[in-house]
Amino acid sequence: MSSQITLTSSDGVDISVDRTVAERSILIKNMLEDLGDSGEAIPIPNVNEAVLKKVIEWCEHHKNDPVTATDDDDNRRKTTDIDEWDQKFMQVDQEMLFEIILAANYLDIKALLDVGCKTVANMIKGKSPEEIRKTFNIQNDFTPEEEDQIRRENEWAEE
Amino acid sequence: MEDNAELESFRRQWREEVTRWTKPAAATGSSEASQSAVAPSPAVAAANASSKLPSRRATGAHKDLPGKSSLPHTVTTEELTRQVKSLWVTHKHAETEEDVFTRRAQEEPESALEHFERAVEKEAAGNLGDSLQHYRKAYRLDAGVDKAYRNKHYSHSWKKPVQPALVDLAPSVKEASAVPTEEQIPLPTAELIESFAFLPVPGAEPLIEGDIPPPCPIANIPSEVLIEVLRQVALMDPAALARMSLVCKRFAYHFAHEQSIWKDLCQHVEFGLQGMHYTFACDGVGHPLHKLDQVEQYTPFPVNVPAEIPKPLSSWSQVFQCYPRIRFTGIYISTVNYSRPGEISSFQTVSWNSPIHIVTYYRYLRFYPDGSVVSLLTTTEPVDVVPYISTENVLAARPTTHKSYQRHASSDQGHLQGGSTEPVPSVAINALKHGLRGRWRLASPFDFADDPEDHSAPPSAIDKSPSFDPRDVIVETEGVDPKYRYTMHLSLRSSSVTKAHPNPPRNTKLAWRGFWSYNQMTDDWGEFGLRNDRPYVFRRVRGWGLK
Repeated sequence: MSSQITLTSSDGVDISVDRTVAERSILIKNMLEDLGDSGEAIPIPNVNEAVLKKVIEWCEHHKNDPVTATDDDDNRRKTTDIDEWDQKFMQVDQEMLFEIILAANYLDIKALLDVGCKTVANMIKGKSPEEIRKTFNIQNDFTPEEEDQIRRENEWAEE
Repeated sequence: MEDNAELESFRRQWREEVTRWTKPAAATGSSEASQSAVAPSPAVAAANASSKLPSRRATGAHKDLPGKSSLPHTVTTEELTRQVKSLWVTHKHAETEEDVFTRRAQEEPESALEHFERAVEKEAAGNLGDSLQHYRKAYRLDAGVDKAYRNKHYSHSWKKPVQPALVDLAPSVKEASAVPTEEQIPLPTAELIESFAFLPVPGAEPLIEGDIPPPCPIANIPSEVLIEVLRQVALMDPAALARMSLVCKRFAYHFAHEQSIWKDLCQHVEFGLQGMHYTFACDGVGHPLHKLDQVEQYTPFPVNVPAEIPKPLSSWSQVFQCYPRIRFTGIYISTVNYSRPGEISSFQTVSWNSPIHIVTYYRYLRFYPDGSVVSLLTTTEPVDVVPYISTENVLAARPTTHKSYQRHASSDQGHLQGGSTEPVPSVAINALKHGLRGRWRLASPFDFADDPEDHSAPPSAIDKSPSFDPRDVIVETEGVDPKYRYTMHLSLRSSSVTKAHPNPPRNTKLAWRGFWSYNQMTDDWGEFGLRNDRPYVFRRVRGWGLK
């Protein structure tokens, strides 16, 4: 059964998609199970068109992946690798990257959320605190004394 | 001493856990053995833990060094002590952040200050001989060079307090009195971190005032997602998480409070305790053992069993901090300096001018997660050899006539790491020729349930360490001569706590407990004297142990 369903993005655009693809999202899957397939468009109020299309693109590519069990924590934590296609997929500007992460979190697509978090982690590793701030436009909200205090407190973890 | 109390309770805890763990397998014998071993008197433990290393070091070879300025323990004036200590401190700090083992293009120093700076650099690298020469030259060029050095590098530390004083002088400013007093009483760290909870991740200010601030999308993600990001950072490199905690208050809060991240790290194979070996996982030259009966190996926090924080500790970050752990992300270096009287030139009749040679040599240990190890004893400085220390390079550096190289070449492919395609310089090759392959493991409580007739351990080692210390590490390597095997008994130690470093990395040093050779032909053990022994100190090397 490869029925089509329609999703409506936050900016009011209808996007039709294979039901199996959309069901990578646990949120949509549960909604379809609860409501039954009435043929009506499903509103996705937190995700705009550009991001929703991107998320659907990811789901299309991964539609044949084995659906991971809900208690897949062990599997997820074993590896920090990202497969090649996902790496390319995540080559987007930072705002889009975090939009995808937010959408994956909202739509409950664990594997996509993971890829997103790993991508961000890759941008962090090997950088100094100041470089991390620059990368993400974060302001240093420590006073010099506080920063020093935290540095001394956390020094044990530096090696 | 508080170290010993901690160790004692930890040891007891460990033993109990192991007894519980072994009961189904060997119910009778082991429980009795552990009974008798429980709680040796604190005095014994103290003697055991502090060992004789420090005292011997104090009276050892360094006393007769002429250039005392280089050793914190033997300097003469108080001022120098402070100065040297601070040098020590800043260098350590710089090195944890940068890669120390790349040779920068070095120009020969010319001015007194440059000589002094070079001397400090050499000293930090442990090369006292060269360091001394630069110090001498520096002082010869300018007797006041140390002042110049301090003015250049440490002036900020005494210039800073001037500012509040100036503010105080201006009586019209109201905040003047309020600001300094507020700063005088810093919050205790735990409370300070507590106050960071729920703070937003602050976005950067616009470059030009009044402009739109640059986007800071990371500030929009909810806590649970932020924690997932931090978890991935930690699993890629725990040290990166520590740097993350210095970015802003919110991250510092999660670093301190997100126990699930620390628990994951504890149970992690690459950095955590899951990667530790308590029995040898390799044969004598570091090839993985393929056991037919896959007995489940001991591990302190098995993944398939609900793990609990062991009693004296209260959080998983403490477990990660305190539990004995070998690091694979760098090299352990033992720098040894000793002096020996040189020939007195026949032209000189005055005895006070007799030369003294300072000899510096290094012992290196690189541990691998698969249970193998590379050991190297050489006079080659870290900067020249450390980046190249690896099993495959040790094998490649050996003369090709060496039979075992041909035979094992294929099976060592698994060790090859990406990125090491650059040719190894000849100075490193020459040093690596003497590299020895071997295997490592941490001490296990089972060691003392062993049959006393067992010949796998040097006999004197058993007398020396009658009780189980979970911090002990056993390293076995090839000998220089194929008929020998070497056994090193080391023990993990922590850097001392100072005011500037109240929370230094734990278990990053390896102190010596004993060093033996075993003659495989005659079944004889011989003990090496450790007259000039110095503990190994861990240093990270860029790219090692990380993906």
